[in-house]
Amino acid sequence: MKQHKKALAVWIGATLVLLAGALLAGSPGRSESVQEAMRDAVLHNVNQIDLLGLKAVNPGLISAFLVTAALLLAAAVIRVLVIPRFRYKPGKFQLVLEEAVSLFSGMAREGSPHRCGFLGAYIFAAGAFIFVGTLFELLGIQAITVHGHPITLPAPLSDVNAAIAMGTLSYLVILSGGIAGNGVKGIGKTLKEFSLPISMSFRLFGALLSGLLVTELVYYYITLSFILPVIVGVLFTLLHALIQTYVLTMLVSMYYGEVSEPSHKKKH
Amino acid sequence: MPLNIDLQQILLHWMNLAILTGGLYFLLYKPVKAFMVKREEYYRKLDEEAAARLAEAERIKAECQAKLDEADEEIRQERVRAQQSIQQSTEDQLAQAKEQARQIVAHAQTEAEHSRERALRESQRELRKLAAQATRKLAFHADPFDQFLDLAEEGEEYEE
Repeated sequence: MKQHKKALAVWIGATLVLLAGALLAGSPGRSESVQEAMRDAVLHNVNQIDLLGLKAVNPGLISAFLVTAALLLAAAVIRVLVIPRFRYKPGKFQLVLEEAVSLFSGMAREGSPHRCGFLGAYIFAAGAFIFVGTLFELLGIQAITVHGHPITLPAPLSDVNAAIAMGTLSYLVILSGGIAGNGVKGIGKTLKEFSLPISMSFRLFGALLSGLLVTELVYYYITLSFILPVIVGVLFTLLHALIQTYVLTMLVSMYYGEVSEPSHKKKH
Repeated sequence: MPLNIDLQQILLHWMNLAILTGGLYFLLYKPVKAFMVKREEYYRKLDEEAAARLAEAERIKAECQAKLDEADEEIRQERVRAQQSIQQSTEDQLAQAKEQARQIVAHAQTEAEHSRERALRESQRELRKLAAQATRKLAFHADPFDQFLDLAEEGEEYEE
C-alpha cells in the first residue's frame, strides 16, 4: 500500500515536471499558419519528401512503404518463428492470427461463396494495410521534407493518391472477379458500378483525412494538446481503423460476389 | 491535377499494395489457412473414427442385445418346459397317490368285509353253541325259566 502511494506520487511528480517543461520550453515558432497546415494536410503539395533522390513524393507514400515494410517484416518473422510452432490446441497469439485470417476468409466466403480464394487474400492484405496504416499515425514517426522542415508522417490513406490507389485497385480486383466468374458479361456487370472506385477512394480519403485534420488542429494549439489527444488521437484513430477496414473489405467482398456470381439462364 | 493527384504516385501505391498482398498471402495468409485446414482435417478424421467406433459399438451392443434376447427366450421356454414337466410329474404323482389310496381303501374294505363276515360267522357259531347249550339245559333242568335267565346272563357276560 505504501509502495503504491510512492509510485503514484512519482508518477504525478513526473507528469507535473514534464508539463512545466513543455510550458517553459515554448514553441520554436510557427513556420506556417493553421490554414496552411490544414491545406497541406489535404494537398501535400508543400511538405513533400525526397524518395531516394528520384522524386519528391507525398509523405503518405513514404508512410505506405513503411507500413508495408513493417507488415512484411512482421509476417516474415511470424512465418519463420511462430507458424512452425503452431499447435492443434492454439495459444493466445496463434488464436489472434487464426482469428484475423478466418475473419477475412470468412468475410470473403460469405460475400462471394462461389469464388473466394483470391478475394480472401486480397481483403486480408487490404484490411491489414488500412488498419495498421491508420494506426501508423499514432507512432508520430518524423521525416524531413525537401525544404528541410521536420514533419510527422501521416496515415498512408490520408494521402489522396493512396486512397485512389486503394479504391481503384479494389475496383480492378472486383473486375477480375467479374471476368473470372462471368467473362465478358462480368466486365459489363462491373462497369455498371462505375462510381465504385470513386466512392471507395474518396470514402477512405475523407474518413482518414478528417481524422488527420482534427489531429492537426488539436496539436496546432498547445492549449488543446493536453488530455484531448488521448480521445481525439487514440480513440478516434482506433475507431477509424476498425470502421474503414471493415467498410472497404466488406464492400469489396460484396461487389466481388455480386459480379462473379455465375448468371443463371432463364428457363422458358 | 486537382488535389495534387499524381498518377506516378498512384502507380507506386499500386505496386506497394501488390507487393503487400503477395507478401502477406505467401508469408501469413496461406500458411495459417493451410494449418487451419490441416487441423480441421485432423479433427474431422478423429470425428469420423469416433463415429465409426461408435457405430461398431452400437452394432456390438445390438448383437449382444439380440443374444440376450435369445437367451431370455430360451430361458423362458426352458422355464415353461420345466413348469410343464413339474406339472406333469405332480399330476402323475397325484394320480399314483390316488390310485394307491383307492387300492388301500379297497383293500381295507375287503379286509373289513372279511372281518365282518368272520365276526358274523363267529357270532352265529356262538349263537348256535349257546342255543344248543340252552336247549340242553332246558331239556335236562327243572325250572326252565330260571335256567333260561341264568343262561341269558352268562350269555351277556360272554358277550362283554
